[in-house]
Amino acid sequence: MNSLLPSAWVAEAMKLRGTLALALAVFAPVLVVALFCAQMLLAPSPSVPPAGGEQAWLALIRGMLALWCFLMLPLYVTLQAALLANMEHANQQWKHLLALPVPRHQHFLAKGWALGLLSCLSAATLYVGVLLAGYVLPWIKPSLGIGGPPPWQALLGSIVAATAASALMAVLQMFIALRARSFTVAVGTGMAACVAGFLIGKSDRFGPLYPWTMPLHTVVQGGAQQWPLAAIGLSAAVLSGGALAYWLGRYPPE
Amino acid sequence: MADTRDGAAMALAVEGRGLTYRYRGGGGISAIDLFVPRGAVYALLGANGSGKTTTIRLLLGLLRPQAGTLRVLGHPDPARSGAGRRAVGALVEAPSLYPHLSGRRNLEVTARLLGVSRSKVDQVMAEVGLDGRDRDRKARDYSLGMKQRLGLAFALVGDPELLVLDEPGNGLDPAGMVQMRHMVAALARERGITVLLSSHLLGEVEHLATHVGIIESGGLRYQGRLGDLVPASGGQLEIASAEPALALARLGELAIPASAAGAGLIHIELPVDGCSDQVDRELLLRLVEAGVPFHAFHRRRVSLESRYFALTGRAGE
Repeated sequence: MNSLLPSAWVAEAMKLRGTLALALAVFAPVLVVALFCAQMLLAPSPSVPPAGGEQAWLALIRGMLALWCFLMLPLYVTLQAALLANMEHANQQWKHLLALPVPRHQHFLAKGWALGLLSCLSAATLYVGVLLAGYVLPWIKPSLGIGGPPPWQALLGSIVAATAASALMAVLQMFIALRARSFTVAVGTGMAACVAGFLIGKSDRFGPLYPWTMPLHTVVQGGAQQWPLAAIGLSAAVLSGGALAYWLGRYPPE
Repeated sequence: MADTRDGAAMALAVEGRGLTYRYRGGGGISAIDLFVPRGAVYALLGANGSGKTTTIRLLLGLLRPQAGTLRVLGHPDPARSGAGRRAVGALVEAPSLYPHLSGRRNLEVTARLLGVSRSKVDQVMAEVGLDGRDRDRKARDYSLGMKQRLGLAFALVGDPELLVLDEPGNGLDPAGMVQMRHMVAALARERGITVLLSSHLLGEVEHLATHVGIIESGGLRYQGRLGDLVPASGGQLEIASAEPALALARLGELAIPASAAGAGLIHIELPVDGCSDQVDRELLLRLVEAGVPFHAFHRRRVSLESRYFALTGRAGE
């Protein structure tokens, strides 16, 4: 399997061992699930119970994904990108890596690949977390009305679409973190973009195309736009990621 | 004619002509001709900011020359030549380590990027003296000397033909420096690796290098064999005399070149090709027989340090 992947990608995975990146990939979605569960348990029972167990399941999925996509995912991507880039900035690794006989753009593509891998790991954790929450919550608070078999496919589709739609944001954030040597600049830019999302995300015109709110728009309106946005986000990420990796290869960080 | 030039190029591991790289804020190098023979231990000497690291960055393709041409192991444009870069191992300034990984894991990352087997990793770690428990300690817990050795392992793991070491003795204690010197010397002697190192530790270089380049303010002031710059023989014989004027007069009568060095000291110039214990004995005998008044003597060798300062004009700084 290793030999099928470019060496820089495998090396990138090797570097992740022992970092906070893997812990963060699990912790971030678990925190979202835990916070949302706490909110559901502490809030008063709905005066009008949901029409059926499946509707209650869907409400749970939408609520958790909205919290994930709107706030946690942009911050998570910002932090992970800064962490991945800082592994090289902090220890002056570039002079070593760039002197090796590996095409330079491979190092930068590998960073994007690692960030994508971490996003997928978080998405998988979120998937498991939502399902567990759906099983545990009705046992603690039956009035929530959650029951019956979970809507596996709807949940899987929503998480896959949101993750795919976040790819463009991840590429841009990774580029900023690689280009700016400062951890503060990388994180600050991500936070500013996230805050801007509070305003831009409300716009029907710009919200779905703003990279930091694109994942959220896969969830709203019952997920009506999820696949078009996933396709746009992913294809824009592939194109821009390739171009930016090539550019960084020509004008690398020092 | 072309054959001769090709042959000369083959004999050079590094051939740079008119290399120039100037930074916007000042500094860099200007029109340097750099010739590093294959199999040599070539030391690039210079003060901080003289252009050593810029030269090394150009060699490694981390910078592209603004003017001039560069061939590394016969490959033009080292920045783009994968084959050229594969044959070069480098340690630039401080070693680049991932502190959260063990020493072995750090080397495995580089080995993976170079497509080198894991067995080679253990072999190289043992070669640089990082075996046993040291291999599995986190790099953050390494001493400076261990980090430097691991940096050398990075440079060696790809089986390079040319080893480029930027200030390899930086931060090492005297024992660490001697160890590093022995390792580098053994690599050149036993494996025929060409070594290009930069340093400002003149004493270390004198023990290790076969060739030197002296760089000052971005220009190369000297380049050639260490032996040509610092002859193994030659130098001065220093005598101490209670009557220096009389001693100088007697030396003049004997047609022995000498000069007063103050405080009753006189320096007698020794011939470059005729200095040995035997010559010293004969000279001293002549002085005694001629009645040159002196009560002490010792031989002063021409050192790399004195030649360096003479070439760079930094002696008074």
